Amino acid sequence: MEFRLEAHRIVSISLGKIYSARGQRGGLKLHKNLLVSLVLRSARRVYLGEPGGECGLPPRPRDPPPPDCERLRRGGYRPLGSEAAARGRVECPAESPRKRSAVERGQAAGSPGKKPRREAEPSPPQEDMETGNVASLISIFGSSFSGLLGKERGAAEASEPGQVCCEQPVLRSLNPWSTAIVAF
Amino acid sequence: MGGRAGSVGLAGLFGAEPDRVWALAGQYGARLGPALRSLASVGGGAGAGLGVRSAPWGLSWGCPRRSPSPRSVSAGVAGGGGGGGSNDFQWCFSQVKGAIDEDVAEADIISTVEFNYSGDLLATGDKGGRVVIFQREQENKSRPHSRGEYNVYSTFQSHEPEFDYLKSLEIEEKINKIRWLPQQNAAHFLLSTNDKTIKLWKISERDKRAEGYNLKDEDGRLRDPFRITSLRVPILKPMDLMVEASPRRIFANAHTYHINSISVNSDHETYLSADDLRINLWHLEITDRSFNIVDIKPANMEELTEVITAAEFHPHHCNVFVYSSSKGTIRLCDMRSSALCDRHSKFFEEPEDPSSRSFFSEIISSISDVKFSHSGRYMMTRDYLSVKVWDLNMENRPVETYQVHEYLRSKLCSLYENDCIFDKFECCWNGSDSAIMTGSYNNFFRMFDRNTRRDITLEASRESSKPRAILKPRKVCTGGKRKKDEISVDSLDFNKKILHTAWHPTENIIAVAATNNLYIFQDKIN
Repeated sequence: MEFRLEAHRIVSISLGKIYSARGQRGGLKLHKNLLVSLVLRSARRVYLGEPGGECGLPPRPRDPPPPDCERLRRGGYRPLGSEAAARGRVECPAESPRKRSAVERGQAAGSPGKKPRREAEPSPPQEDMETGNVASLISIFGSSFSGLLGKERGAAEASEPGQVCCEQPVLRSLNPWSTAIVAF
Repeated sequence: MGGRAGSVGLAGLFGAEPDRVWALAGQYGARLGPALRSLASVGGGAGAGLGVRSAPWGLSWGCPRRSPSPRSVSAGVAGGGGGGGSNDFQWCFSQVKGAIDEDVAEADIISTVEFNYSGDLLATGDKGGRVVIFQREQENKSRPHSRGEYNVYSTFQSHEPEFDYLKSLEIEEKINKIRWLPQQNAAHFLLSTNDKTIKLWKISERDKRAEGYNLKDEDGRLRDPFRITSLRVPILKPMDLMVEASPRRIFANAHTYHINSISVNSDHETYLSADDLRINLWHLEITDRSFNIVDIKPANMEELTEVITAAEFHPHHCNVFVYSSSKGTIRLCDMRSSALCDRHSKFFEEPEDPSSRSFFSEIISSISDVKFSHSGRYMMTRDYLSVKVWDLNMENRPVETYQVHEYLRSKLCSLYENDCIFDKFECCWNGSDSAIMTGSYNNFFRMFDRNTRRDITLEASRESSKPRAILKPRKVCTGGKRKKDEISVDSLDFNKKILHTAWHPTENIIAVAATNNLYIFQDKIN
C-alpha cells in the first residue's frame, strides 16, 4: 500500500505547488505548471487505482537507498523504489507507446500541442482569461485543498491501508479540475 | 548615436541605495569594493566600465581596460599531475568574478553566459537585469602570466522590472538569454531578453573627445554669442577609454508567454525568439512587427500537453531551425516549406525506456537546452539527467547519450519536492565539436570527450581557486563504500547548481556560472 501513500503524497505536493505558483513573481510559469499537472494526473491515477495507473510507479529494481537520504525528504515516508520493484514490474502496453501515439496523432493533426479530449470540459480559449481561470481554480482548490489536508492528517495518524480509501471521494472530485489545471 | 544612452551613473541606476552600489562595486573588482580587499583571487580590472568618470560616494572607476589588475590570477602551470581531462589536457583555474559573501543577493545570480564570435568578449546577464561584459586582455609580453585574462569592459542595466497592468503581473527583469551578433564594425552588438522584451544593445568605445567648441565652454555652459570674437575648429583629443552601451532596438509586445530562447540567424539580419507556445521571426531593423513561424497553442488550452522549451537557428542554413519540447522531442523546421512552420520537416524522438518509468518520467525527459554543433551536422539536447547528441540525418534516436548525474534518478521525488527537478541546465560544444560540457549540482560541471568517450567532473569552488591551480577531478559516490575524496550523493549541495556554461569558440577557455560567481578556467600553459 505504500505506493498509494507515495502517490497521495505526490498529489498533495503537486497541489501545493500549483497553489503557491499563484503568488510567484513574474507570473505563472506555463511550463512548470504543465509538468506539475502531468505529475498530478499520474499520481492521481495510481492513487485511485485506475487501470494503467500502476504504470506511474517507478518499477526499476534498485537497492534500498541508504537511510541517510532521509535528509533530503520532508516527512517520514520511506523511499518506495524497492517495494514497488519487489511487487514486480507492471507491463504497461498502453503507456509505453503513449508518446508515440500522441506523436502520430500530433503529426496527423499537424500540431504537437493537441490531443484527443477525454473529458468534455469547455472553457473559453482566451489568453487574457487565464489569470481569471487561475483565480477561480485557486479558490476552488482552497476549499478542497484544505479538505484534503485535513483528511491526509487523519490518514497519516491512522496509518492503516483501510483509512486511505476514505479519501477517494475527495480525489475523485478532482477529476474535472485536473483538466482545468492544464488550462493554465 | 541616437537613443537613450545606457551609460548612466550608478546614482541613476540605483537611486539612493548606497548598499546596492557597494554590492555592484564589490562584485566586479572596483578597488573600493570592501569584499574584495582581502581576496587575492578575484580579477576584474580596476574599472567597471560604466562610462562615467566618477560616481557619487567618491568611487572612481578609472579605465575599463589597459590598466593592470593587481588582483588577477593567471593560469600557467607546468608539470604533470593526475586526472584525466578532455582532450588529454588539464583544466586550470584562471579567474573568478563576483562577491564572496555567503549571503547571495538574488539580483546577483547569473542567469546567462555567452562568448562572442571571436571569444574576446564574454557577456553575463543576471537576475537583476544587468549585463556585464568582460574583455580579454591582449597578450602582453611584459606580463606573460596574464595570458588573456578577462576584465570588465562594460556594465549596464539591460532590463528593468515592469508591471503589466492589464494582467496585474510583474514582469521579471531577469536576463534569460544573451546572444551576440557577428561584429561588422568597431562597435559590438548583442541581443538580450527577459520574459517579454528583447533589446538590441550597441556597445561602443570612445577614446577621443572634441575640444574647442565655439558655442560651448569646456564645462558645457553655453557661451554668450556676443562674446565670441573668433572662430576655431574643434580638435579631437585623446581621452580615457569610455565604453558606452545604448539600446538601439527594442522588440516588445510580441510574446504572451515567457521567452525562453533567442537565436541569431546565419544571415545576420533576422533572429527568432521563442516562448512556451510560439516562435517569432524578427528582422533586426524592424521592431514594430514580427512573423509568427511556429504556434503550438491549442484552440482549447485544456488540451495543452507540451510546450516549447528551446529553439535555435542552424548555424549555416538560414532557413532551418529546431525547437525542443517539454516532451523530450525536437522538431526541425524549414522556413521554405511554409510560412507557418507548424508541420515539421524532421522529428527527433527517442523511444522511452518502459523500465524506467516513474511519476517523474515526463519531467525529466523535458529538454532544457538545444544547441547545434559548430559544424551544423549535429545537435545536442539536455534533459534533466543526460545530454544527447543527435545526427540531423537520424531521427529515431540520438547517436550519443551521456549520463550527467544518473545517481539522481532514485532521488527524483525529493528533487520534485524541493523544485530542483525543474532546473534548466544548459549545455555547450567546444570549438571543434569534439567535447561537450554541462553543469550539475554542488557546483560540479561535467565534460565529455566525444572521441575518447572519457568524461570528467570538475568543481567550481573557491577552495580550488588558488593561483595556477589544476582542477582536480571530482567523483560522486553512488553506493557502497565511499572512497577518500569522493562525495556522497546525500552530501551534494543542491543549492549550488551550475546551469550556465560557455566555451570559447576557438580556444580551451570555459566560463562557468556558479550562482553569483563567474569562474573562468583555461587549459594549462606549456
